[in-house]
Amino acid sequence: MLKFEDVYFAYAGGDTITGVSFEIGRGEFVALMGENGAGKSTLCRLCNGLLKPSSGRVAVCGCDTARTRTSALAKYVGFLFQNPDRQLCKNTVREEVELGLEYAVADKAERVRRRDAMLELFGLDGDREPFGLSRGERQKVALASVLAPEPDILVLDEPTTGLDYRECAAIMGVISRLNSAGTTILMVSHDMEVVSDFASRALVLNGGRLIGDGAVRETMRARRVMNEASLLPAQIPSLAMRIADLGAEYAGAFTVDEMVSAAANARGSARP
Amino acid sequence: MKGFLDYVDGNSVLHRLNPMTKLIISFGLCASCFLTQNHAVVAAIALFDLCLGALAGISRRSALIFISLLKLSAALFLLQVFFVRQGNILLVLPFGLRVTDAGVSFSALFALRLAAVTMPLSLMLSITRMSDIANVLVRYLGIPYKYAFVLTTAMRFIPLFTEEMAGIMEAQTARGVRFDTGNFFRKVRLLLPLCVPLLISSVRRIEVSAISAELRGFNLRGRSSGYKRYSFGANDAAALFICVMIIVASAMI
Ligand SMILES: Nc1ncnc2c1ncn2[C@@H]1O[C@H](COP(=O)(O)OP(=O)(O)OP(=O)(O)O)[C@@H](O)[C@H]1O
Ligand SMILES: [Mg+2]
Repeated sequence: MLKFEDVYFAYAGGDTITGVSFEIGRGEFVALMGENGAGKSTLCRLCNGLLKPSSGRVAVCGCDTARTRTSALAKYVGFLFQNPDRQLCKNTVREEVELGLEYAVADKAERVRRRDAMLELFGLDGDREPFGLSRGERQKVALASVLAPEPDILVLDEPTTGLDYRECAAIMGVISRLNSAGTTILMVSHDMEVVSDFASRALVLNGGRLIGDGAVRETMRARRVMNEASLLPAQIPSLAMRIADLGAEYAGAFTVDEMVSAAANARGSARP
Repeated sequence: MKGFLDYVDGNSVLHRLNPMTKLIISFGLCASCFLTQNHAVVAAIALFDLCLGALAGISRRSALIFISLLKLSAALFLLQVFFVRQGNILLVLPFGLRVTDAGVSFSALFALRLAAVTMPLSLMLSITRMSDIANVLVRYLGIPYKYAFVLTTAMRFIPLFTEEMAGIMEAQTARGVRFDTGNFFRKVRLLLPLCVPLLISSVRRIEVSAISAELRGFNLRGRSSGYKRYSFGANDAAALFICVMIIVASAMI
């Protein structure tokens, strides 16, 4: 679905992405992690041709991004900008959500149905003016307008930043439902809890180099990689590793449930 | 490339001149373009502008600016040259258009002037920080600080506007609007409806800066309180002398 082959990219200032290669298959849920300025947003922009690689190749659904227009790639790739204000450009929330649909869905009735379903799903008022909304609400509008056309691949640059816990859970619910239905997802996130709960694979970027690529579980436990990228694993795996350092048998625990059952086992075996 | 009006850092003789001197010289050069009626003098001033650019270490940039100005001048020349009626007819064209010697001379002077007048201003802005210009306006010309501040802020918003516009276009392209077409007219047609959101987001941005300036006590400021001093040295005197010579010479030739 999405393939990077030895991709380099430089802004005027210098190399930002250096020699990145990976391939994401259909239906994967991949998290992209790394410290501020690591090049995550830049990598996202390379995915839909907003930026073209200076050397190497980026292919999306078989199309080379260097040779395909971004507007044509929009059919396959839904793109959420890191800053929602970069994205909003219509006068009402309803028009905003409909913008992406206009190019993806030919049938008018279907467009209206999907638009209203999205507004309903996110609890948005279609008549409001996007710029009058709060930061979190604008984030939701931006996300709704990206999700509405149901593209094959979603590239989401920090979708949950600025949302409260309930909204974050609701939005991640929508995203993971789309993922179960077959949508491929590449998501940038600084929230390790979100990453460990939803993603199955993690890419770790540091200074423009890909220093980690593997299952989220393994990556979170790879101390060297996590340290190098200044990342702290989610709380449960951190806890599990700390307890494991003490010599107990918790090392595998990754979710709350696993932790609880590991604790129950430990209790069981400790009992005479 | 950086925008036309952006400051380019450097440490050349010109960069180190007093900002006031730079202002005077650039306006002096403009004035001399209008004082003279001689094509050669205007062309010489334009050449002098290019030399100044080289002296400031921005020869590439000034050449680029000059070339784009020349293109504009050429367009203006063509627009004018057919409509001047006085003088001896050189060429008769269909539709009652004609080219006269006076027309050619007048239009050429006009086109040259446009390039020669714009160059010093754009050079001056390239090698002088906006804040320095504002400071000397307040200090030497007695312009109220607020107005100087408005001027510098307005200048600073030009690159912001272009950035904002590029951002909106990016956002739309990412959602399938065909901004990445080569067709100019199509692009313009797509751009027109964007003017409103652009205006809204820019006004919001300006409002935010205004509020944050207010929060930091902008309106409490009584007298101008810039603490930067600008020295006036031998270089400045020499530069001003040269400038006066140019003005006098152009007025006489
Ligand atoms: N338009 C640009 N022009 C020049 N340099 C840029 C531009 N955008 C980003 N950079 C530089 O590229 C590097 C990577 O930026 P990028 O936005 O990809 O980081 P990021 O990983 O998304 O960070 P964050 O977590 O803060 O969002 C940074 O050092 C930044 O300064
Ligand atoms: Mg980013």
